[in-house]
Amino acid sequence: MSAAPPLLEAVDLSFRYDAETVLDRVSFALSRGEVLALLGPSGCGKTTLLNLIAGFNLPGSGRLTLEGAPIAGPGSDRAVVFQGGALFDWLTARANVEFALSCRGVAKAERRRASDRLLALVGLADVADRFPYEMSGGMRQRVGVARVLAAEPRVMLMDEPFAAVDVQTRETLQEEVLRINAATRCAIVFVTHDIEEAVFVADRVLVLSRGGGGVAAEFRVDLPAPRWNALNRLRPEFLRLREEIYLTMKDGLRPAAESRHAAA
Amino acid sequence: MRPRDRDAAYWLVALASPAALVLLWDALSRFGLVDPLLLPPPGAIAAALRDVIVDGYAGVGVLTHMGVSLYRVAAAFLAAVVVGVTIGLMRGVHSKVDAAFLIPFEVVRPIPPLAFISLFILWFGIGEVSKILIIFYSAMLIVALNAQAGVAACPQDKIRAARSLGASRWQAFWRVILPAALPQTMVGLRVALATALSILVAAELLGGDRGLGFVISDASTFFKTNDVFVGIILIGAIGFLADRGLAWLGRRYVHWEGRS
Repeated sequence: MSAAPPLLEAVDLSFRYDAETVLDRVSFALSRGEVLALLGPSGCGKTTLLNLIAGFNLPGSGRLTLEGAPIAGPGSDRAVVFQGGALFDWLTARANVEFALSCRGVAKAERRRASDRLLALVGLADVADRFPYEMSGGMRQRVGVARVLAAEPRVMLMDEPFAAVDVQTRETLQEEVLRINAATRCAIVFVTHDIEEAVFVADRVLVLSRGGGGVAAEFRVDLPAPRWNALNRLRPEFLRLREEIYLTMKDGLRPAAESRHAAA
Repeated sequence: MRPRDRDAAYWLVALASPAALVLLWDALSRFGLVDPLLLPPPGAIAAALRDVIVDGYAGVGVLTHMGVSLYRVAAAFLAAVVVGVTIGLMRGVHSKVDAAFLIPFEVVRPIPPLAFISLFILWFGIGEVSKILIIFYSAMLIVALNAQAGVAACPQDKIRAARSLGASRWQAFWRVILPAALPQTMVGLRVALATALSILVAAELLGGDRGLGFVISDASTFFKTNDVFVGIILIGAIGFLADRGLAWLGRRYVHWEGRS
């Protein structure tokens, strides 16, 4: 059986910024419908890796392909949800979503219908005509998700999307991402520094080491469906995996100088 | 001071203070403490204003004087907006364009525009051209600088968001960078307009027989201090209305500013 290329594949991917190695020979593959979490402390290169996938930067060496084709620049097949939302302040929620539709050349009448459907999907049907400054942080992130879905990406890239919202809203949004993943089968690369978030949303967690060391460890998450069930957070296997990742990150990822300092 | 702290007492003081100033002014001239030839009483200025509105000044109607001044400043300002915004946006977007303009702009920027006015008169004569060009020059520099700063203020995330949603570079420019640059550009327009009006008066002081600057300069030559004040009031009224107009446009079209 000749295997089709993985949806997204990185082989020995390296990236340097000035003289500093930010990513060192990172390899991974993402299959269709999968949710992959990139987990690590700040400075580990997880956002850099996301920016490479998005095409905002090009890799120094190594290979990065989407369905076998090298990534050469930004494109709607890899639309990004940003930490701050990066909404267009001058456009309403609806117009933000329709921006993505018009970039795809969707006709005007159809845009209205599609934006109605997408805003309803993220629970914003009632506030479609509000501007970003009239919305809470959680609502803005929902618009960001709806806007990305309007681009109909092959992979949705999420860069610490819920880091700036309160805990309860964050958990609700994580559950909604999983529902959307189940409904659309759109694969997701989810960057986070929060272990619990990574375990809850991802099918697989890649732990990146601090200081550009590349992938330190990989964990497969095996939790019962539906994955958006909030009670999953209380299951023993969830807690066990969380602890295991925590210990891995605590032991293995700290630069030598800092761990000596902590021990003193 | 936050707007919601502005209660009735605030506005009472705000209105009482200018009223007190006018009363003081009136008392100074009424009791002979200042020469009315140097500082006429408010009533005399009001009467002179009425006379100028009814009879005109130096045989020319007040609307003509105002119209000539408005035409000069409007023509120069609109040209400055078109050219300045274009240069500013292009400098903001394109590093080569920025490099091309960098040194010429930085060399002339610290020179007060009025320093060039004699040169402009030598080159373009005493008529409309030198007046409009000097106003255009001073306003354009300000507009260009602010439009460029507006582009620089556009967060990279928003441009990247647009590109990752499938926008071309061209679409990202028109639909993201341009609106993001609008708030700072509007600030530039207001500053440039105030500068344009002051350059206008200075340019009109130097020659011609029309315009509010001419009224001020001619009246002062003949010690008609009342009419000097009339000219000042009329130019001030134009400045105030134009600035309010731009502020209104700003609130209408840059509604998100300071709220995001």
